Amino acid sequence: MDVTVPIEILPADTEGAISVWLFKSGEAVVEGDVLAEIMNQKAATELVASASGRLTILVPAETAIMGGQLIARID
Amino acid sequence: MSSSEANVLEPSMAVASRAKTARRLTIARAMSEAIAQCMAEDASVLVIGEDIAKLGGVFGTTQGLLQKFGPERVRDTPISETAFIGAGVGLAAAGMRPIVELMFVDFFGVCMDAIYNLAAKQSYFSGGNVRCPMVLMTSVGGGYGDAGQHSQCLYATFAHMPGLKVVVPSNAYDAKGLLRAAIYDDNPVVFMFHKALQGMGWLGTVPGSVTPVPEEAYTIPIGEAVVIKEGSDVTLAAWGLGVHQATEAAEELSGAGVSAEVLDLRTLAPLDRNTLLDSVARTGRLVVVDDDYRSCGVAAEIIASVCESADVKLRSPPRRITFPDVPIPFAPEMERPLLPDAQKIVDAVRAMLGT
Repeated sequence: MDVTVPIEILPADTEGAISVWLFKSGEAVVEGDVLAEIMNQKAATELVASASGRLTILVPAETAIMGGQLIARID
Repeated sequence: MSSSEANVLEPSMAVASRAKTARRLTIARAMSEAIAQCMAEDASVLVIGEDIAKLGGVFGTTQGLLQKFGPERVRDTPISETAFIGAGVGLAAAGMRPIVELMFVDFFGVCMDAIYNLAAKQSYFSGGNVRCPMVLMTSVGGGYGDAGQHSQCLYATFAHMPGLKVVVPSNAYDAKGLLRAAIYDDNPVVFMFHKALQGMGWLGTVPGSVTPVPEEAYTIPIGEAVVIKEGSDVTLAAWGLGVHQATEAAEELSGAGVSAEVLDLRTLAPLDRNTLLDSVARTGRLVVVDDDYRSCGVAAEIIASVCESADVKLRSPPRRITFPDVPIPFAPEMERPLLPDAQKIVDAVRAMLGT
């Protein structure tokens, strides 16, 4: 399934950044794991896995992102 | 956790296997959690500093504390290190356990009397009757173009002074356990966290600093180094960011048939000379990684300690990979070549071994 940046964390017209990925691409994750921290202005919010499976990171940390953007997949 | 990652950063812990993936934290979150747990247990623990309350710390060290504990115990201060670090020393003398954040270690000048002449000495001067259970937490390190007044490490400046303890964690697991030890220590502890490891996004986070961190409270004793990778040809002694560079170098050297041992000192004062000497006695060679200035640095102290030991027979002259004795440049293309990195460590070891 697609992992997108929730617009509750980052509105669709707002630029933020992935501060840090807590997992590497290719690692197994479990629903409920905190995958990453998303930075909006100076506030960091945790991004939680909504499914279990193998994580594929599509957007690396420290890259500008917009709310709603696809940043990873869990298969 | 993959086996290769376990080699890189399996801190001194035994995380019980559990159905859910072990929770991982950045150093920033691990520090915030350690403080929150101590504050919940002990009403004398409080936090003061610039931007530590409403913002949660410029480096994320105090996230969520204002909301949990309120402005009485989590207090933003004016931009006067002289005033609020002096206040921290006073609070400690009066029986509190203050945690004071000096945003950048580079700002130490205006508060050094409180640190050097009061915090470090009042226990001695009073025959132990006035203690200083204060934590001074402060960011160190460069590598992101912040120039000469926001990029220094200054480990030696603090490790030099009797009466101060100095801690420099390399990963989130150690940061949480060491900060708890620092908060409950009756002596002043300077807790130096490296900006490149903090997990704040805008500073470039070294992935190895993010580790599984148990939710329950635990303590890592101050003054104990740990061998994080065993080896037989050379000891790479490091702390903070240098641990990750040494680990990367050890992996590259392994491909060339060189077995490097990586030592994470974790604490610079008191320095765990036993673990250091034991390691170098086995390998006979030493390279120290220190991103502070070269002359009169902690790397020099480590090398001197090894050379003074009658039990260690060195097979090669020891080496140190350090920042040269110049102010830190702003321009990244000027700063970067001056900083320690894995390649410099590899080159030093290969020159030492003649390979």
